[in-house]
Amino acid sequence: MSNMLKKEMKLSASILSYLFIVFGFMTLIPGYPILCGAFFTTLGLFQTFQSMRENNDTVYSALLPVRKSDVVRGRYAFVVFIEMCSFAIMAVLTLLRMTALAGSAVYRANALMNANLVYLGFALLIFGCFNSVFVGGFYKTAFYFGKPFVLHTIVAFVIIFIAEALHHVPGLEAVNAFGFDHIGLQLAFLLAGAAAFVLLTVLSMKRSERNFEKIDL
Amino acid sequence: MSIVEVKGLCKKYPEFTLDNVDFSLEKGRITGFIGRNGAGKTTTIKSILNLVHPDAGEVSYFGMPLNGNEAEIKTRIGYSTGSLNYYPRKKLKDLIAVTKLFYPNWNDEAARRYAELFKLDLEKTPLELSEGMKVKCNLLLAMSHGAEVLILDEPTSGLDPFSRDELLDVFLQLRDHGVAILYSTHITSDLEKCADDILYIRNGKIIASETRERFIETMGQPGETLEEIMLRSEREARNE
Repeated sequence: MSNMLKKEMKLSASILSYLFIVFGFMTLIPGYPILCGAFFTTLGLFQTFQSMRENNDTVYSALLPVRKSDVVRGRYAFVVFIEMCSFAIMAVLTLLRMTALAGSAVYRANALMNANLVYLGFALLIFGCFNSVFVGGFYKTAFYFGKPFVLHTIVAFVIIFIAEALHHVPGLEAVNAFGFDHIGLQLAFLLAGAAAFVLLTVLSMKRSERNFEKIDL
Repeated sequence: MSIVEVKGLCKKYPEFTLDNVDFSLEKGRITGFIGRNGAGKTTTIKSILNLVHPDAGEVSYFGMPLNGNEAEIKTRIGYSTGSLNYYPRKKLKDLIAVTKLFYPNWNDEAARRYAELFKLDLEKTPLELSEGMKVKCNLLLAMSHGAEVLILDEPTSGLDPFSRDELLDVFLQLRDHGVAILYSTHITSDLEKCADDILYIRNGKIIASETRERFIETMGQPGETLEEIMLRSEREARNE
């Protein structure tokens, strides 16, 4: 399994997948829909799927002395690794905004979503949807990725729209809490996002393993 | 006991059916797999490598079914399906460095020897290689981990006669070390040089699976070469 991840990183990965991790820094941009950073990270991952298909990686991987399911697991491991790198940046910067920068006027005047644990929960939801809608969709054929990516884009922007709109709904202002205000609510969103991420990723991986097993190469 | 056993392999496509394919490979023997284009050679090879899923049949290596033991079996066999058709812009040395991670028995010395024998420049990318050189690179990957069985789909296609001859010598050396080799080819003169057994497929059915001498005796007419036997046999089948 670790060999598959090494193979993904050394052979299959597009350099853009690594570069686009830095979109996690969008967490610091005031007056911007910061959840787009999570979407851009998945856009970088999309480049790896493109590069992998151009390089006929599926056949190369299937010829290696591994189970076909290991090929799928290796790809998911790489995807989750990149997502977690981006998430780590977002988490550190969110904590910065929740502590040292909590009183910053530029963030206080921000009409858009604030960086707090709710934001991190939604970022995990976007990553989970990428793993389910795009990666899972790709492994239905192990070749076509246009439709799954369009679907993922739509789903991601619906999530971003909902996340941005939520705190404007009367009674739900608390989701845009600053610092450690309403920490219980913030934690609940983060845990729900984490649970959704794990669930969507694991179920999608299991489905992809089954689908890939059936495909004739 | 046979080192590879294939029993009742079936695969149905809309235009083609692989029909109840049975054969076995023995340690230290070279089996030439012959048949026309589209006869089912590649489908058979892909099926016994789990690249396509047979509708029925059993494939076992070293007494273990392929199903459930795929990873372990694949570390003990070498296979190449034609030329090197992946990662055209990666250096060969990088492809080798990643591939060898998966083989506990990878032998750097053997890889160096094959690179030298095949005159492969490992600093080059597949894009910079001729088709023949790509085949050689694939063979290097297939043969550098002490495989006990080699399964090769048209390994000599695209090779010049001298390189083919060199490769057949390598096959003979490997056979003497107990390696079982199955290779498909259209160049039947190669089989005259090195095949111990012949596996002949037509329209998805195995027509013959026997020693080369027995094949010539039963299928051939006096003085016929393997190519002539195959050509006559195919013509007769077409006229039936």
